[in-house]
Amino acid sequence: MMARLWRAGPAVVFLAVACSKPPAPAPTTPVAAAPDLARAADSIAAARRDSAAAAARADSLARAERERVRADSVRMSVQQVSADTAPKGAPAGLAAADSALLAEPIHFDYDRADIGATDQAQLDRKVAVLAAHARLEIRIAGNCDERGSTEYNLALGERRAAAAKRYLAAHGVAATRVEIVSYGKEHPLDPGHSEGAWAKNRRDDFVVTKGAR
Amino acid sequence: MRRGWLVAVAMLAPAALRSQDSTRPAPVGVRVGITYTPGTRPSVAVLPVATASLDSVRAILLRDLDYSDRFEVLLPPPTVAMQGGAPNYPGLTALGTDLAVAVVGAGGPGGDVDVQLHDVRAGSVRNHLSLQLPAGGEALRAAVHRVADEVVRWATGTPGVAATAILFVSDGRLWRVDPDGAGLANVPAAGRPTLSPAWSPDGRTVAYTAFVPGGRPLVLQDLASGSREVVPGTEYGVNITPEFSPDGRRLAYAHGDENGTDVYLYDVARHCCVTRLTVGRYYDNLSPTWSPDGQRLAFVSSRPGSPQLYVMSADGSGQEALARFDYGATGQSNGPEWSPDGQAIAFHREVGGVPQVFVLDLATRAVRQITGEGRNEDPTWAPDGRHLAFASTRGGVRQLWIVDLETGRMRPLAATGGARLPAWSPRRTFLTEAR
Repeated sequence: MMARLWRAGPAVVFLAVACSKPPAPAPTTPVAAAPDLARAADSIAAARRDSAAAAARADSLARAERERVRADSVRMSVQQVSADTAPKGAPAGLAAADSALLAEPIHFDYDRADIGATDQAQLDRKVAVLAAHARLEIRIAGNCDERGSTEYNLALGERRAAAAKRYLAAHGVAATRVEIVSYGKEHPLDPGHSEGAWAKNRRDDFVVTKGAR
Repeated sequence: MRRGWLVAVAMLAPAALRSQDSTRPAPVGVRVGITYTPGTRPSVAVLPVATASLDSVRAILLRDLDYSDRFEVLLPPPTVAMQGGAPNYPGLTALGTDLAVAVVGAGGPGGDVDVQLHDVRAGSVRNHLSLQLPAGGEALRAAVHRVADEVVRWATGTPGVAATAILFVSDGRLWRVDPDGAGLANVPAAGRPTLSPAWSPDGRTVAYTAFVPGGRPLVLQDLASGSREVVPGTEYGVNITPEFSPDGRRLAYAHGDENGTDVYLYDVARHCCVTRLTVGRYYDNLSPTWSPDGQRLAFVSSRPGSPQLYVMSADGSGQEALARFDYGATGQSNGPEWSPDGQAIAFHREVGGVPQVFVLDLATRAVRQITGEGRNEDPTWAPDGRHLAFASTRGGVRQLWIVDLETGRMRPLAATGGARLPAWSPRRTFLTEAR
């Protein structure tokens, strides 16, 4: 934690210089022949430009680094035979009601990935929780019933998760806070073969991945 | 275990090829005995062996010839089949036998044997092969499978498919099994589940989807060493249905992310250069399968509202519907695989909500339903282009079955329950090791 704060330090300073400070007020009285002041203003502007560029650079580097680390971890886990693990249980630090609301799945019609009115209202409530807890990040997992091929259902599950992400993004949740995954028909909630079971299994699950404490 | 078995085959194969060269040449332009016509199969007798230690060899050979679905296989009693240690041609002829296979040798497994194909009516040896059999285990079975394939080639002009293997998924793990149901073994792979296994044309590499923490990458795994690499760019999103081009240089697959699932090509030979072939808008394109000439790809697209079969050039141009379908009436069509002879595509389509195996004839674009009992999915072609393996619940539990398209014969493959997503190896799996 300390290390992370320490590393974040310079970026915060740059940002403070570049953005947080209101622009220096323009001198109300033109100061004629004040080369010192003009030079000083120039160098401040230059410093601002530099620091803004540095912050942007740091930001994109951090993003690239995050992606690289993730790709590395995927490549690493391929080297060993491993089981998929998803974080389980209510995240601490988030009110139980909010946490339950976030975890509520939404459901889909057969072979469809569009979100119905009831589920839209449900997603709206998630949007409110996500807006109130700006550091929360979530993963949406798309799931299918057992009908249709293993492989087509993986594509369909991806589409279902993406539909929910698009909805959240359209309602103000930053896309970077939402990752999606498809489980296809690999993780049925109900192993039955009835329409009742299938209806339960055609769903998006929501898991908090970060920022709960 | 696995590696030892491959090496043993590798040692055997050159010997087998040499001894075949020493076979007296068959008369040019003359095919003795048999012309295959559907419904009328030659009958082949597998002759009794002189030593009990060769019984297991005879049993494997017998089963392979039977499973080739090209013969009526007979097991004549020694009193009828043999006379003075040699085939009794008049006795065999009286049984209606066209051909007879003999395994001659004093030593049994581990020793030298001579495998002979007798033309019963001509009263002579038509082909033979001298080889040293491995002492036992997987190596012996693999060697006998090769012999069986050779016997099928002698008799029919095209080799059998006994010396191949089928990869499949069960309980989320990857398995291999021989087409006679023996040699079942787990293939340690990344991820759980591991899905969509696909063979490289040389039989050395398998590509598959691995469910690992944080991703659904495509993995290329060397079957002998177990070493793995992730296809670049598949660390993200869902990556499914890989298939090697016939020359093994490219990998077609489907990559899905927030913008939908589409077909891509990866240059395996140059380890680079991912090309996108389809652009879906809120629909999916997946399950690419190569024509044997590498010029075209059939694939599944849900652009008409539900998944159906499409085809395109290997550069992504000229996309069109492949199998006729009626909007809203024809069930989902999935899992296409182009036949080795290039003339047909096997796939499964839902009929009344239940998947059934179909074969599409490319010349006429007519489809033929192959199965009707239980749920039948994910057909994969044997290299002979006449057998299909598929997952079926017809026996009560889902397991792998094999159908011979010529005779319609179906048999369960003794394999673990819950089996799905079979991939039949190329024939060259075992031959490449010999080069």
